[in-house]
Amino acid sequence: MGGVVEAMGRVAAGELRNAFCFIGAGGHHAGRNFFGGYCCFNDVVIATRQARRDGRLRRVAILDTDAHHADGTRDLVAEDSEILHVCICNTDYTSGDGTKVDVDARSRCGLGGSTDQLYLDLVRGAFPARAMLFRPDVVVWYFGFDTHRGDYGDLGLTSKAFLGLASLSHDTAREVCNGRLLVVLGGGSLADLASRLIPPIIARLAEQPPSGKPLDP
Amino acid sequence: MRDRVPGGVTGIFYHPSFSRRSYLTSGRRLAAFPGALNSLLQSSNIALFQCAPVSDELILLAHDSHLIPEVEADPF
Repeated sequence: MGGVVEAMGRVAAGELRNAFCFIGAGGHHAGRNFFGGYCCFNDVVIATRQARRDGRLRRVAILDTDAHHADGTRDLVAEDSEILHVCICNTDYTSGDGTKVDVDARSRCGLGGSTDQLYLDLVRGAFPARAMLFRPDVVVWYFGFDTHRGDYGDLGLTSKAFLGLASLSHDTAREVCNGRLLVVLGGGSLADLASRLIPPIIARLAEQPPSGKPLDP
Repeated sequence: MRDRVPGGVTGIFYHPSFSRRSYLTSGRRLAAFPGALNSLLQSSNIALFQCAPVSDELILLAHDSHLIPEVEADPF
């Protein structure tokens, strides 16, 4: 969690353009008075509140593409109109003020066609335009790779989808907040996937050509 | 690991303990790191930072105080 807090502060202050945060435990299933799903404390919300306390930001747009609903994050930000929280999960919901949005990807993926493209289209329809209207100070992509084919939240996605999400997050942040983007690692259990997905995502953040292992064997 | 860097840089925040034991993995999902980042870390616009621990005061920005001992007692 300390890394997310420091990364948020440095990105908000303009000391870093963007950041990728590894984690030791998850955060998005940790609410005000509960935790679970291998999450302990809510790193993104704590980092946001600390950065606000330091006067570095007010408004944060969170895109959560972990397989499961971010119940802890939603619990903590439900009444906070300066947080846009778009969660790609297994329900459909939009709050009255439009700042809290759930998109059911689970029932829509696997209906035929390219799952990667379906998923990216769902995210593209849910997040960039809302972020543009919301005008955040920082964008956060909560990146779980548990939705990859073969992992425990399998939606049939391949590496192509995750690199697409990296580009979408990066490009959205460039459009709405001068590129200030935090990528925070969430769920996903397979070591081979981690080593194939994470380096090219970081390369995308740094605007460098991807290198390393082939994406999908 | 670097401390102060100029803007325009991508920061990577990591701790060696994440590769020994981390989320959902019996400790192995990040086993290839930080070695898997070696080529990226040759770049002048990428910097590696070691994550620092946080205080209880910071945790209380979001959570009730009883959560701290409950998390500490959790077997995972």
